[in-house]
Amino acid sequence: MAEVGRVNIRLPSSIKQGEVIRVRTLVIHPMEIVQRDKANKIVLKNYHFIHTMTVAYNGKEVMRTELTQGVSQNPSITFPLKVDKPGKLTVSYADTNGKMFETTIDVKFT
Amino acid sequence: MRLPTIIRLKMSRRGFLRALVTMIAGTAVLKDLLIPDKVTAQAGQLGMPQPDELVDATLKRLFGSRGFQRGDDKIKVELPQIAEDGGSVAIGIDSSLPVSGAVALSSLYIISDKNRRPMLAKFSFTPECGRASVATSVRLATSTDVRVVAEMSDGTLYSVIRPVRVTISGCDLPPQS
Repeated sequence: MAEVGRVNIRLPSSIKQGEVIRVRTLVIHPMEIVQRDKANKIVLKNYHFIHTMTVAYNGKEVMRTELTQGVSQNPSITFPLKVDKPGKLTVSYADTNGKMFETTIDVKFT
Repeated sequence: MRLPTIIRLKMSRRGFLRALVTMIAGTAVLKDLLIPDKVTAQAGQLGMPQPDELVDATLKRLFGSRGFQRGDDKIKVELPQIAEDGGSVAIGIDSSLPVSGAVALSSLYIISDKNRRPMLAKFSFTPECGRASVATSVRLATSTDVRVVAEMSDGTLYSVIRPVRVTISGCDLPPQS
């Protein structure tokens, strides 16, 4: 897992003003699940998973997702965005190791 | 050492020290008994594993005693009937419930009844989202009901329940090489 934290954002090829578009995101992350040892006891450790994804458009938070270990490895989340004006879309993730991963993409009308 | 008057009346210095050590030791033992292990103590807080609980306890914890209204006509849920790989079950949710206005949808929850930690994800919306619609991939531990709950800004809850058959558990660790 050399590239833990890589974030991909995909926008539709055609974006019209006022449209609600679907934005696809992907982040590389193990999303560790709770392990049990041979005695079926929980292995105590700091589990490494992403707990929050935040989406901001032109500096304003528009969407927030609380993720858990029940979300698949390398979480992919598709969310909606109403684009009334062009701008910068930033998707950020926070994980349990205190790391933050983020990517910004320009949203333009086509 | 001169002890405070009140203690000097009742016991000797040695007795006082002995009592003090017993109290400290007793507190240490009690602490281990009363404080559960680290994983569960802070469970449910952001960044900690969800609590290991039955789904009824999850629903109570998240929604209190509020009842659920059937949301089948308002929330479309796309899930496979049979999931080959429980570690990656695609789920799509699309709702006609508004995300703006006086009474708007504030959050969508995905809950898996038979996962040890039923709360899988919570999506929170603002009017800038335009629509209450999400898609992601979740882990299902076993064949289970998947519950999608929509919470409105006035506290109203709508739910859609969909059974999913799971062939390979999504919660088993991959084989260690």
